[in-house]
Amino acid sequence: MALEHAVLEDLRRVVGREHVIEASNDLRIFERDASIEGAAPDAVVLPATTAEVSAVIKIASKNRIPVVPRGAGTGLSGGAVTIHGGIALQVTRMRKILEIDPVAQTALVEPGVVNQELSLVAASHRLFYAPDPSSQKACTIGGNAAENSGGPHCLYYGVTTNHVLGMEVVLADGSVQWVAGDAPDRIGLDLCGVLVGSEGTLCAITKIKVRLLSTPPSVATLLAAFSSIDAASQAVSAVIGRGIVPAALEMMDKVTVGAVEAHYHAGYPTDAGAVLLVEVDGIPESTRELMAAVRNVLAENQGYAMREAQSPSERDLLWAGRKGAIGALGRIKPNYYLHDGVVPRSRLPQILSAVGEIGVHYRLPVANVFHAGDGNLHPNILFDLRDRDVLPQVESAGEEMLRAVVELGGALSGEHGIGLEKNAFMPWVFSADDLDAMRRVKDALDAHGIMNPGKIFPDPQRKAPHLAGRTGLAIEAKWW
Amino acid sequence: MTRVTTEKPATAEELAKRLREAADAGSAVFPVGGGRAVEMGDPPARDGIEMRMGSLDRVIEHSQADMVVSVEAGISLEALQAELGKTGQFLPLDPFNSPGHTIGGLLATGWTGPLRQRYGSPRDFLIGIRVALPDGHLASAGGRVVKNVSGYDLMKLHYGALGTLGVIVAASFKVFPKPLHDATVQSRHTAMDEAWAAADRVLGMPMAPAAVELFSDGRVLARFLGSPEATKRMVADLGWTKAEALGWKKHSTAAPPKWARIAAPRHRLRSILDRLGRDERWWASPGIGVANWEVAGGAEDVQAVRAAATAAGGSLVLMAGPSEFRHDAGAWGTPPATLHLMRRLRSAFDPNQVINPGRFVV
Repeated sequence: MALEHAVLEDLRRVVGREHVIEASNDLRIFERDASIEGAAPDAVVLPATTAEVSAVIKIASKNRIPVVPRGAGTGLSGGAVTIHGGIALQVTRMRKILEIDPVAQTALVEPGVVNQELSLVAASHRLFYAPDPSSQKACTIGGNAAENSGGPHCLYYGVTTNHVLGMEVVLADGSVQWVAGDAPDRIGLDLCGVLVGSEGTLCAITKIKVRLLSTPPSVATLLAAFSSIDAASQAVSAVIGRGIVPAALEMMDKVTVGAVEAHYHAGYPTDAGAVLLVEVDGIPESTRELMAAVRNVLAENQGYAMREAQSPSERDLLWAGRKGAIGALGRIKPNYYLHDGVVPRSRLPQILSAVGEIGVHYRLPVANVFHAGDGNLHPNILFDLRDRDVLPQVESAGEEMLRAVVELGGALSGEHGIGLEKNAFMPWVFSADDLDAMRRVKDALDAHGIMNPGKIFPDPQRKAPHLAGRTGLAIEAKWW
Repeated sequence: MTRVTTEKPATAEELAKRLREAADAGSAVFPVGGGRAVEMGDPPARDGIEMRMGSLDRVIEHSQADMVVSVEAGISLEALQAELGKTGQFLPLDPFNSPGHTIGGLLATGWTGPLRQRYGSPRDFLIGIRVALPDGHLASAGGRVVKNVSGYDLMKLHYGALGTLGVIVAASFKVFPKPLHDATVQSRHTAMDEAWAAADRVLGMPMAPAAVELFSDGRVLARFLGSPEATKRMVADLGWTKAEALGWKKHSTAAPPKWARIAAPRHRLRSILDRLGRDERWWASPGIGVANWEVAGGAEDVQAVRAAATAAGGSLVLMAGPSEFRHDAGAWGTPPATLHLMRRLRSAFDPNQVINPGRFVV
C-alpha cells in the first residue's frame, strides 16, 4: 500500500528528496535480504544522521507506519524484510567510524559501517573486532548488533552482545537514547543487553560503541580430514571434552569441500567425508602447546591428512574457502536455504545424521558448513528456484531439520535470528508464558507495534508451521 | 531490613503462587538466597515476606560433554563448583563476601570478582533463565546451548535487576574447563604510582592475565591461567614473587562492614581512587574498571566520591552498610537518563512493586 502523499512529503523534507525511494520498480530491490521470503516496502528512506532517523520514526509513529531498519541486507532470517510494508530504514549512508580509542580499546561507529572495514582500520593499532560473520565483507555493525551475529571465532571470543559496550538508539516514539557505555556495572536495568539481538523490533540503532581486542601475537590454523561427518563430530566433542577451547572449530562436509575446492583451490581434501578447520591463537608458547594437544586429540579420533597453514596467505586461503563456502555452493545449485539451529555439542552426530536423512527424504542435496565447536549447524538445502514446486519442499525440509534440533534439546537459531523465517516455530521452544514475558518487553518499548512488525513473535496473520500438530513441547516441559 | 514473616517455598511453582498471593494482598516479597548481599540497595519501602530460596537447590542437569549446567537458583556457588569440579570444570565466578552466595543471589545482584578479567561476568556466560513473576506465572528465556539468538535476551534484563522483573528460580550456564596451569605472582610497592604502573605492565603482557588486583597498600596480585609453557614464560618475564593460589580464596572473603563498589571506564578508575585519602582502604580490578572501597567515613564522604565517579562516567553503589547509612548516602546515586524506560519494564512485570519494593533503582 503506497504511503500517503503528505507522509512522503514529510519524509522528503527530513532526508532530502533524493533519499526517499517510492517508485515500485526501485522498491523491488529492497524487497528481500539473504533469506527466502520477500515483500516490497512502501518506501525506502535513507537517513544520514541520528536526528534524521529520529524524525523519520516520529513521522512513522504518528501515522502508525511500520519501520524496518536495514543494513546491508545480508541477514538470513528475513529481519530486514518489510513483510507488513511500511518504511525500510536503510542506514548505509551512516557509515563513519567516528572514533577508535587505542588506549581504551574501543571503537564508536555508525550502524552502516561494514564489519570487515572496522577490523581493517583497527589493525593499524594492532587491534581487531572479534565477531566475524561469514558475510563480514558486506554486513554492517548495525545489522550485527540488531541480530546479535556470530561467526567462526565466536567459539572463544563470544558473539556480538559480548562486544557491544553501548549504543545510541532511536525508540518507537522517535526519542533518542544512549544505553550503557564504557563503564562496567552500570546503574539500573541492562537495556543495552536486551536491545542487542532484538532484530529491529524495539529500536533503530544509530551508534555502536564496541570493544576491540589486541591482535594475538601468534595464530595456528589446522585442516584435518575425516572419513565421515560422524567421525569429525566425535573429534569435535573430544577436543572440547578435553578442555580445549580453540579460537575457531569449523566443519565442512564432503559436498561443501568439493564446491569450495573447485572454486578456491585451497588444498581441501576432496576425498574426505568431512574436514575440520581448527584455529588457536595466543603467545607462541600457548599456540604451540594448544595446537599439539589439538593434533593429538584429532589423531586419536581418526583425523588424517592434517595440514597446518605455513604462512598467513595459506591461512587466509583456508579461511576464504570456509567463509566463501556458501557462495561456492552455487556451483551445485543456484539457490540455497540455510538454517542455523544449535544443538548441545554432544548431539552433533545425531543431528547431522537426521539432517542427512531429511535431505534424502526430500531428494534435496544438503551441504553442511558450520561452527561445530558451538554446536551451531548450518545445513544448506540446495535447490533451483526454476524447478516447479520446489520451494514448499525446501521449506518443509528446513522445518523438519529445525524440529529435529529442538527435539535434541537445541535452539532455533544460534546467530541468524528468528525474524520472519522461524517465528512460527517459537512455540516449539517457548511456552505461552515465556513468549508473553518477551511480549511485555516489546509492548513496554513499542506500544503501537511499529518497529519491524511480524518478526520474532508468531504472526497470526501468516502461515502456521506444517508440523503444528506436534507443537507444545516447550522448554519447561522438557527440562526445567 | 524489616520483615514480618519468613517463608521457604519447596518448589518454583509454590514460589510463583505465593508471589501472586502477595501481589493480590498488596504485600511485599524479599527473596533471599545465601543472605550475603541483603544489605545491597536502599532500605525497603515497606515490610513483607522474606522468601528463603534454600529449598530450590538442585542441579537440574550437568552435561560434561556439552559444558553446560542448569541449576535451581538456591544452590550455593560452592555446591555448584563441587559438582562441576568432579569433571574438571568450573564456573569462573569468585565474588567477594564468599562463601555462601547462591546462584540466584549472584545473578540478581551482579556481584563478581577478580576472574572477570579473563572470563567476563555471568552476563557473558548465563545462557538460560527461569523466573517466577508476580502474576503467578513462570517464564523462561534462552536455553541450554552455548549460542542462541532465539527471542529476546531476557537473561540480560534479569542480571543485576535485584529481582525487580521476577524472582530467578533457575539458570543455565556455559561452564569452563579448569585451566591446565594456574600461577599467581605478586609485587609490593611503597609508592602508588609504582603500583599502578605495575598493574598496567601486567595487564599489557602478551598473554593476558586472568585476574589482576591492586590494593590500597601498594600490593599487586596477578594470576595467569593457561598452558604450562605460556604461563611459565609470563611469570619469568614479569620476575615477580610467586604467591599462593589460596590467596585468591582468602581475598574472596573480603567484606567490610561498610562497603561501596566504584565502577568506571577502566582508564579513568585511578582518577577516582586518587581522590581517596592515603589511609583509606580499597582493592581494585584495574583491568575491569571496578574498585571496592571500605567506607570509613559517612554519607558525605560517599557522596563526594560518587560525584567523582559520576564525573568520570562511572558509578558508586553501596554493597553493605547499616540501614541508616544507606538511607543517608543513597545506595545507587543519580539514576540514568533512561530511568523512564526501566520503569516501564518494571511496570510490565511487577506493576504493584511486590518484589523488593524501594530497594532498586526502579
